[in-house]
Amino acid sequence: MNELLYNLAVMIDDTQWSTLLHESYYMYNWVESTHVLTLMVSIGILFLIDLRMLGYAFPDVPASKIAARLNTPMLIGFVVMFITGILLFYAVPVRTTQSVWFRIKMVLLVACAVNAFLFHKRMNESVASWDNEPRAPKRIRTGAMLSLVFWSVVVMCGRFIAYDWFDCDRDPNALISFVAGCVDGQTRY
Amino acid sequence: MLTSVYEQNKRTLITSAVLLLAIAFAYSDLRLTIYGALMPMFEWFETTPFGYVGKTWGAAFATVQAVHLVGLGVLGGAVIAADGRLLGLLLSDVPAKTVVDRSHRVFVWALIALLATGIFMACGVAMKIYYLPVYWYKMLALGAGMLFHFYIRKPLLAHDIDTLNPVVVKLVAIASILVWFMVAATGRWIGFSG
Repeated sequence: MNELLYNLAVMIDDTQWSTLLHESYYMYNWVESTHVLTLMVSIGILFLIDLRMLGYAFPDVPASKIAARLNTPMLIGFVVMFITGILLFYAVPVRTTQSVWFRIKMVLLVACAVNAFLFHKRMNESVASWDNEPRAPKRIRTGAMLSLVFWSVVVMCGRFIAYDWFDCDRDPNALISFVAGCVDGQTRY
Repeated sequence: MLTSVYEQNKRTLITSAVLLLAIAFAYSDLRLTIYGALMPMFEWFETTPFGYVGKTWGAAFATVQAVHLVGLGVLGGAVIAADGRLLGLLLSDVPAKTVVDRSHRVFVWALIALLATGIFMACGVAMKIYYLPVYWYKMLALGAGMLFHFYIRKPLLAHDIDTLNPVVVKLVAIASILVWFMVAATGRWIGFSG
């Protein structure tokens, strides 16, 4: 599996556009800046919704209204974030594929998606009974808290990708090598 | 007569004076004198416990960077929600006053987190940022943003928003979004420089 991912990453790395994007100082930095700045739209709004459920923000505004009205700008933010994220991966595919932090981030993104699905399902089922309460019921609050924690760690992992502490070319220990998916005899990093 | 004109336009006049002074300062030799005089302070930053930890413990620095980013996200969310409402784009069925006031509380906490983590990070790379023009642009944008938010935007929106000129309200919202995105963008660019 790791060898397959590595070969796939090398294949992407060999494409001209990947090299061009990686080596373009302004283009790469603009893409990365957009990825980071979109935090303010996507995760910022998501956290407002989560904080509402926990009773720390907009306690006197109906929860369903906050969630529904802020959903669209939040999703626009996430779409831009995913597009720029894919571009960043495309620009540095091999190192990113073998980054421990990138792998943790991907797992957490799946967890975030599952949590968001369950959160919305539970909310839609019960919101009529607590819509005007300053704090949501415990089940909803748990989902909101998980969302805050997961996304905070996603941001953290995203930030850590930039650091080379556990890169495959730094001869990591067996555990890190396993998690990062380092391939014996690999020539590209 | 003059006193009443001053009283009526106190905030506008003081803000204009600050802007004029800032422009005069930018083109005067005083700027270079003060810039030189600030160097010992930045050297001292690196010798503080924050500076020591930031320089020697990469994981701590990176973690604080991540918290700074989360704070930035929350601040951005508060700005987008409040200014989006003022522009009539978001939460238009919730009173503007409610959205602005509730967002402000989140904004203040996020700003405190950003300043605290920002000071820690600055201590760790004090001499690097001292020589970076983009760092000073960020400080300028941050100062302008805080002045704008607390000295212009907040007092203005403390009035009944429905009685304010809608064009002024929209311009305030656009200026607020721009200034905070400018702070974030210049902050990001520090990472690409030096």
